[in-house]
Amino acid sequence: MLTRRTLLRLAAGASVAGTLRPARSVAQDAAWSKVIEAAKKEGKVVVYNGAVGTPALPKLASAFEAKYGIRVEVLEARASELRERIRTEQASGKVLGDVSHNGSTTTALQLTDGTFQPHGSLPNAGRPVAPFAVDDHRVPIYVIPYGILVNTDMVKPSEEPKSWKDLLDPRWKGKILSDDVRALGGGAVFFMVSTQKMGKEFHEKLAQQGLHMNRELRGNYPRIARGEYPVYVPFTLPDTLDLKGLPVKAILPTEGLPYVRFDGAIFKGAPRPSAARLLLDFFLSDEGQLAYANLAFMPVVGGLESKIAGDARGLVSEMKPKLLGTTDPKLQDEMLKLAKSIYK
Amino acid sequence: MTTREAVLHPVRLWSGRVWGRHAALGLLLIVVAFLTAYPLAMLVYGSLHSTPPGAAGVFSLDGYRAMLTGANGLVLVNTIGLSLVKTGLAMVLALFLAWIVARTDTPCRDGLEVMITLPFYIPPILTAMAWGMLATPKGGLINLAWTGLTGSREPLVNIYSYGGVVWHMMQYSTPFLFLLMVGAFRSMDPSLEESSRMSGASPWTTFRRVTLGLMLPVTTSAFLLSFIRGVESFESALIFGTPAGIEVITTEIYQLIHHASTPDYQQATALALGIMVLMFLLVAWQWTLLGGRSFFTVTGKGYRPRVARLGRWRWVTFGFCVLFFVVTVVLPVGQLVVSSFFKFFGFYRWNMVTTEHYAAVWNNRLVWRALGNTLLLGLLGATATMFLGGLIAYVLVRTKWPVRRVLEVLAWLPWMMPGMVLGVGFLWAYALMPGPIQLYGTLWALLVAYVTLGTPLAVRTMAGAFAQLAHDLEECSRVHGATWSTTFRRILLALAWPSFAVGWILIFFIILRELSASILLYSVGNEVLSVVVMRMWTEGKAGPVSVIALVMLALVFLFRFAERRLVRTHLSA
Repeated sequence: MLTRRTLLRLAAGASVAGTLRPARSVAQDAAWSKVIEAAKKEGKVVVYNGAVGTPALPKLASAFEAKYGIRVEVLEARASELRERIRTEQASGKVLGDVSHNGSTTTALQLTDGTFQPHGSLPNAGRPVAPFAVDDHRVPIYVIPYGILVNTDMVKPSEEPKSWKDLLDPRWKGKILSDDVRALGGGAVFFMVSTQKMGKEFHEKLAQQGLHMNRELRGNYPRIARGEYPVYVPFTLPDTLDLKGLPVKAILPTEGLPYVRFDGAIFKGAPRPSAARLLLDFFLSDEGQLAYANLAFMPVVGGLESKIAGDARGLVSEMKPKLLGTTDPKLQDEMLKLAKSIYK
Repeated sequence: MTTREAVLHPVRLWSGRVWGRHAALGLLLIVVAFLTAYPLAMLVYGSLHSTPPGAAGVFSLDGYRAMLTGANGLVLVNTIGLSLVKTGLAMVLALFLAWIVARTDTPCRDGLEVMITLPFYIPPILTAMAWGMLATPKGGLINLAWTGLTGSREPLVNIYSYGGVVWHMMQYSTPFLFLLMVGAFRSMDPSLEESSRMSGASPWTTFRRVTLGLMLPVTTSAFLLSFIRGVESFESALIFGTPAGIEVITTEIYQLIHHASTPDYQQATALALGIMVLMFLLVAWQWTLLGGRSFFTVTGKGYRPRVARLGRWRWVTFGFCVLFFVVTVVLPVGQLVVSSFFKFFGFYRWNMVTTEHYAAVWNNRLVWRALGNTLLLGLLGATATMFLGGLIAYVLVRTKWPVRRVLEVLAWLPWMMPGMVLGVGFLWAYALMPGPIQLYGTLWALLVAYVTLGTPLAVRTMAGAFAQLAHDLEECSRVHGATWSTTFRRILLALAWPSFAVGWILIFFIILRELSASILLYSVGNEVLSVVVMRMWTEGKAGPVSVIALVMLALVFLFRFAERRLVRTHLSA
């Protein structure tokens, strides 16, 4: 039972805490101001980007430059190439890159390699909403969910596959075009997540459908639009906005959407650590998140829906509650092996 | 000592400067070793070590052990079979086209010569997309026409097949081989063929025994270059072979590097080095084939190449060249031109007509910066490579320097190594280079890599040309008091100028398209066009990529025109 004395003690404690919190906040603000000041002195930040060709990063870079006057230079290459580049740079002591912008699996593997340094405290670190969270080294930035693409001239609305399991219907035999599930990329993400959620039996049956697999992601959309195949999996859902005007439709399967997350982290030995830290924090700001969300990439921070522009807003809202799961770096090799054994 | 001996033994001739000559040759060897042996040594290290250079690990033969499997044997047979078939077919086609252009009175030969070479300059990814649309079994335009005309339910062609891979590879091999051989056909002294005819040989026997016989250095070199390139080719196999279950060595290496959760550089480098050894055996076979024989076709005597009068058949040969042009250029390039004016590549509707791709390229600062860097690297790289290649070729063909075989091997090596692995070798070599010179992260890293990549082609081109030049030409110059450098420049290079120009253009465009090394060596501010094109392609911007390809084709016309003007001016002078 609470006594009067206890209550007074609690009240006193709360009062002290109340006076201390702003003081800590002020101290944090001062410390962060120093980071900003140092970042401005560094003048630029070099990002190694594994999301090759993403239109969002240049937009984010412009917003960052406009806000802080710090130039963002982006070097793009495939994930494996960036991984070896930075490893070699660190081994030779000639580190050129500051920030990694790459898929969560590659980032996790690089973390195991010891590629990153802790980013320290970030004012926006608490903003991501579950299941996304900042840890000592990594900052989640955005998410790409996958669904199904169909040709609307070939597939009547009543026949559209509504779920992943609908693809097992005999009517789709020989009619599904797929990103190669035996190689890293969207195909592997789809395979890994759907195997974990629906069991390998799902893929054993899907393999019987005679999927036409290739690794030419960007060449596949026109093939669907031209009617070469009626169905494509796994479709990068944010690309829906780019395909407007073509006879295609994106479908969000009822079981949910496998997704890949992109993370940011600071390279060990980064020549511009303060600018890198500032950019990492900026990824989680409203401006940073909207650079992605306005192109229908899913933000990791909540409460932005009303600020997202045009068509992207509806798609992001639709995708958000349907996230199914993402890849587990520890299982990647095992899953690739399984995919090869099922899809021979 | 006679002048001929002097040419064969230049070191003895310049005995007063013998150490200077030794030093110059030694320097040449060091430069070539730095360019080729150093990155390859890094790859050898990678193949023998459990981790890449700079990382803690142990030495082991695991990479080579993993290479020696039955599955890899099958992949090797597939790879060699594919390359052999495509090189053989392309060789026959290229020889025929070169003969038509250089040795017959077929109309419009100048124009045909430029047109036949155009497919070489179109980015493979775009022709792949075009042929995907034309020859896919489901809805490909050729198959639609076939089923419409015949009522057949079976498609006529399937690009996703062994034949499809060969066909797509031939798009590049044929003009490449044609470019390498047409000059040699043209510069042949007809008196040799006339002697054969006068001795009673039939035209076919003369063509086979004399014409082709004298062209052995050029044809075998061209065949080898094309065959090896076929073994290392990647795009055709990845795009058209993988969906049909056709795996080749490069797709295996690609899988090991880019599609494993932890890139397996040890096995990838071991596999690439294994291929290199096999290719080297082929080159050694060529040395045996050509060893000790003379192939002089250009002598001090004046002559004009004999041109076969074909009569009415000249219109047939003309039609054949036009057909080749239509199939390999008009179809894919036509698609590029049309697609560049539509919102979506290959999707033609009136409401989708646009010029936005041209505006996107025009307003893209990165494209212009990359174009500037690429042109600079192309001009410097092609020129430096051809001069270096010319020097190496001279030492190989015109001297008896005992170490010249080492030089030849070193100059061949980069051609035998798949690009995506050699690119890793460059990265390791330049980034981990000891000493004060920082190459990694600069534009010069790209230049050095490009010179390395182009050197084998430059050496083969120039060696083939030098092998055809009789010694009397050089002797005359020397007798009249010209120095070695003047003789090299005014006689040898001048007479080999058509080959020099062709080699220059080939290397220039190889640099323009090179991606494997560029992606690992470029840095911010030093972007090159191939990297920007790759970015755009990955982003799905096939339209702007088409526009850039058309700009590249315009450059081809410009350079070919300039080269032909230069050749004419130079030769007439």
